[in-house]
Amino acid sequence: MDHDEAQARMTEIQRIMERATLFTLLPGTPAIVGGLMVLAGCAVSYAMIRSLDFADIFRPDVPFGRQGAFCVMWFAIGVLGVLIEVIITTRAAAKQQLVPRDRPMRVAAFSLTPSVIVAMVLTIKFLIPTQPRAEEIQYIVPIWMMLYGTGVYTAGLFSIQPPRLLGLAFLALGVVALLWFPQYGVVSAALSFGLLHIVFGIYIVRKQRQTVV
Amino acid sequence: MNEPVKPDDIDAVIHERVRLSIVAALAVSPELSFNELKSMLALTDGNLSAHSRTLEEAGYIVVEKTFRGRRPYTSMRLTAKGRKAFERYLGTLRQIVDRGDRAVGGSS
Repeated sequence: MDHDEAQARMTEIQRIMERATLFTLLPGTPAIVGGLMVLAGCAVSYAMIRSLDFADIFRPDVPFGRQGAFCVMWFAIGVLGVLIEVIITTRAAAKQQLVPRDRPMRVAAFSLTPSVIVAMVLTIKFLIPTQPRAEEIQYIVPIWMMLYGTGVYTAGLFSIQPPRLLGLAFLALGVVALLWFPQYGVVSAALSFGLLHIVFGIYIVRKQRQTVV
Repeated sequence: MNEPVKPDDIDAVIHERVRLSIVAALAVSPELSFNELKSMLALTDGNLSAHSRTLEEAGYIVVEKTFRGRRPYTSMRLTAKGRKAFERYLGTLRQIVDRGDRAVGGSS
């Protein structure tokens, strides 16, 4: 074995170890917490608008203050979800002597970020008009489902199968929600960002507990 | 310390690419299932079975076969002997890289 082959092998070993490390960093607990927050958000939303259609929050008879509270609540759920994920994943990474700028974490973050940015831009675009159209508001949840699913699937390409399955499930549900049930955004959000996240989180947490020796 | 790397210094069990991949993955994951390893390393069932058997026979990994409900579940983990062998192999690679050594006759 010569110098070049030894170097190539070390690079290959590093790549495999990074891929395997991503598995142990999969955010199980944040997914459960995030899923529960989304379920709670859906319940509160339903209580606010008495409808399964998020677009109803912009009905003329809904007070402006309630509309604002609705937007702030979902923004807070999103920010809190990301914060919890970052904090817990960073702690898990620190246990393995990884830092956020290490390649496994960068790969995961960069895979997910572009599609989330697209979803955010579309959401802003749909919300900007003073009188948002109901159809556009109805697209927000399915679009988030599909784009988030794309990002998770892409991030999963560098890890094991479960994240890829989660991404595909989000994509499939997003397509169904967009084409056939856009008016049931509360249900779509509860099923995907709520329930799917919780099921995925429980699976990952159980799996990671089994692997700790 | 200045001796060049000899072919005998290279562990033939770990040196094989697929087996090296299995050991490297298990080195950072205390346990992985058969399906996870297969997916992670893009291997076929037969390929992973054959190489994991070789590693098991060498005492480098432990293969546990259980059931999850009615479905068979196979998991693998690295043994202390396997971890030592992996670290030794990494040391040999570093030595070759650092010194530009060549292990004459080392299979690749």
